[in-house]
Amino acid sequence: MNEQSTHILLIEDNPGDADLVRLRLVESKSAVDVSCVDCLSDGLASLAQQQPSVILLDLNLPDSQGAETFRKVRDKAPDVPVVILSGQDDEGLAMKALHQGVQDYLVKGSITSGALNRAVRYAIERQALLRSLEMSRKQQLEFKNQFLSHVSHELRTPLTCIHQFVTILLDGLAGEVSAEQRDHLQTILKSVNQLGAMVRDLLEASRVESGKVRIEPRCVAIGDLIRLAVAMMQATAREKQVGLEVGLDNRIPFVQADPDRILEVLINLIDNGVKFTPPGGAVTVQACLVPTDPDFVYISVTDTGCGITPEARPLIFERLYQDPNAVDNNRKGLGLGLFIAKELVGLHGGRIWFASEPGDGSTFSFTLPLYSLAKLLFPVITRQGCLRDAIVLLKVDLRPRSKPARGNWKDTCQHCLEILQRCVYLDKDLVLPPMATPGPEQTFLVVASTNMDRVQIMMTRIREQLEKIPDLKANGELALSAAAVTLPDPADPLEKQVQDIAHRVTEMARFALGVKQNSK
Amino acid sequence: MGNQKILIVDDDPDLRQALRLRLRANRYDTVNAVDGYSAIALAYKEHPDLIILDLGLPAGDGFVVLDRLQRDDKLSTIPVIVLTARDPQSSEQRALEAGAAAFFQKPADNTELLDVIRATLPKGNAVGTALPS
Repeated sequence: MNEQSTHILLIEDNPGDADLVRLRLVESKSAVDVSCVDCLSDGLASLAQQQPSVILLDLNLPDSQGAETFRKVRDKAPDVPVVILSGQDDEGLAMKALHQGVQDYLVKGSITSGALNRAVRYAIERQALLRSLEMSRKQQLEFKNQFLSHVSHELRTPLTCIHQFVTILLDGLAGEVSAEQRDHLQTILKSVNQLGAMVRDLLEASRVESGKVRIEPRCVAIGDLIRLAVAMMQATAREKQVGLEVGLDNRIPFVQADPDRILEVLINLIDNGVKFTPPGGAVTVQACLVPTDPDFVYISVTDTGCGITPEARPLIFERLYQDPNAVDNNRKGLGLGLFIAKELVGLHGGRIWFASEPGDGSTFSFTLPLYSLAKLLFPVITRQGCLRDAIVLLKVDLRPRSKPARGNWKDTCQHCLEILQRCVYLDKDLVLPPMATPGPEQTFLVVASTNMDRVQIMMTRIREQLEKIPDLKANGELALSAAAVTLPDPADPLEKQVQDIAHRVTEMARFALGVKQNSK
Repeated sequence: MGNQKILIVDDDPDLRQALRLRLRANRYDTVNAVDGYSAIALAYKEHPDLIILDLGLPAGDGFVVLDRLQRDDKLSTIPVIVLTARDPQSSEQRALEAGAAAFFQKPADNTELLDVIRATLPKGNAVGTALPS
């Protein structure tokens, strides 16, 4: 930045203080031009027009006080350095602001022209330095991710080759295989699969770290997901002679989660549990509700293994961490499983933690947000404190024409969902998070604030748009239907009315999905 | 009626051979191409019933091949299954949009791959039957 063009925005409501600052700037004889405003809103307006080299900011203004003032300025102009002008009595506040990204502060009344000049110049320099550090950090991260992506791709080719030829031998495509040879081949296959899992974890960890993982939340029956994970891990547990059990509350409500990602979390936790549990022990997966935290489902994986040493505890969710004291004959992984699990749970808005005593097993727990239809519906089906006049539940059924579905059916359904979302009004219609279904049939439900006459127009529009998708046209069938939702007593409080609607919609949805499952 | 014919496009000779053995065992005939250019040439000459296509290829990568196939009236009806080491997050959507019927990341599960081959092949003289496992 050229010193000739140092442009200062002074946001100060006290005219005396403002004049003094100007005077000191003139005295310092450095080439600056100053624009001065006396309230935050004018300051923000000025920032929207032009970004100064530095902002001199009084935190206590007529329209904003304290740390809030700085936050608003930073949101508007994150790259512009800020120097705070603080009164003698609020130096503590100024110190606190330094931790939030303010470059410097000056105490009004004791500002000299030299100090002011120095503060302005240093603030500009430091901000520029910070920015270039941040840039190079980002570049490094990007480079690391590209590198990992490249390496895992290159590793995959020889891995595939080994996998292919081992399975060719095992399947007898190259002649008879003796029992002993089969044993050895199975060992090779197992190692190759482990290697493949590591390559996958490596890529997944770097993707999670760089924020490239997309979560597609759905309405998920977490009990089914747990049973699936347990079924997938049963062979591994049996081989190690570790029991693997499920304990579920009878009425676990649906959660809002991406089933693929949560399956990954469950498998990671179960795999760990089995790995650190000696033969004869057991791993138990449970899900329950906790009365003190009613918005979440608690899921836990408990093992009877060696437990976690006190030294390992603070590090266990770190990338690449492996407990050096966990003596285990089994091969270790890369130490990425818990890191990935933590990140994925975090992306869902849940928490993950553990409880453990050395020698007495461990319990890893995480939470997932409950699927709350009322919460989702509230902004859509109410207006100005009242329920809307008419509400309709619209149903879009997709089924593949052949079994197994041709093409990539899952993607076709996802594509339909995206199109569907574009066909509705965001402020008064809601596409419900899709149910994770076991079969290929997919049903999307829309709660629409409209009546049965007008919903026909909406259905025509949706049909027209969905029929434009070539994959759906080629491989699937489309059916649309609608039913009015009975409105509750308008005398009830609004919250109660919305809950009633949510309850009715849930019943209707359950019926819609149930009928489909029975007709299979 | 003869067996159905599958064109394997992969630049790695070992992977080509493995796939050929697997497909032969399931009574498919196979032809091989090692790059994008010969893939198109062979598609013309042999007119296969299905193409299994790698994405990272010399002389015109998999997307170029997909594009050429799609734009040719004689070839656009041949279904293509992409089988690649590339990351599905970056390539799957693009491959399907470019006209691929399915996407598999290597190493693919053999049973799954054969199921999709069977489902994707034009019906008529379907002969591919799974070996008893």
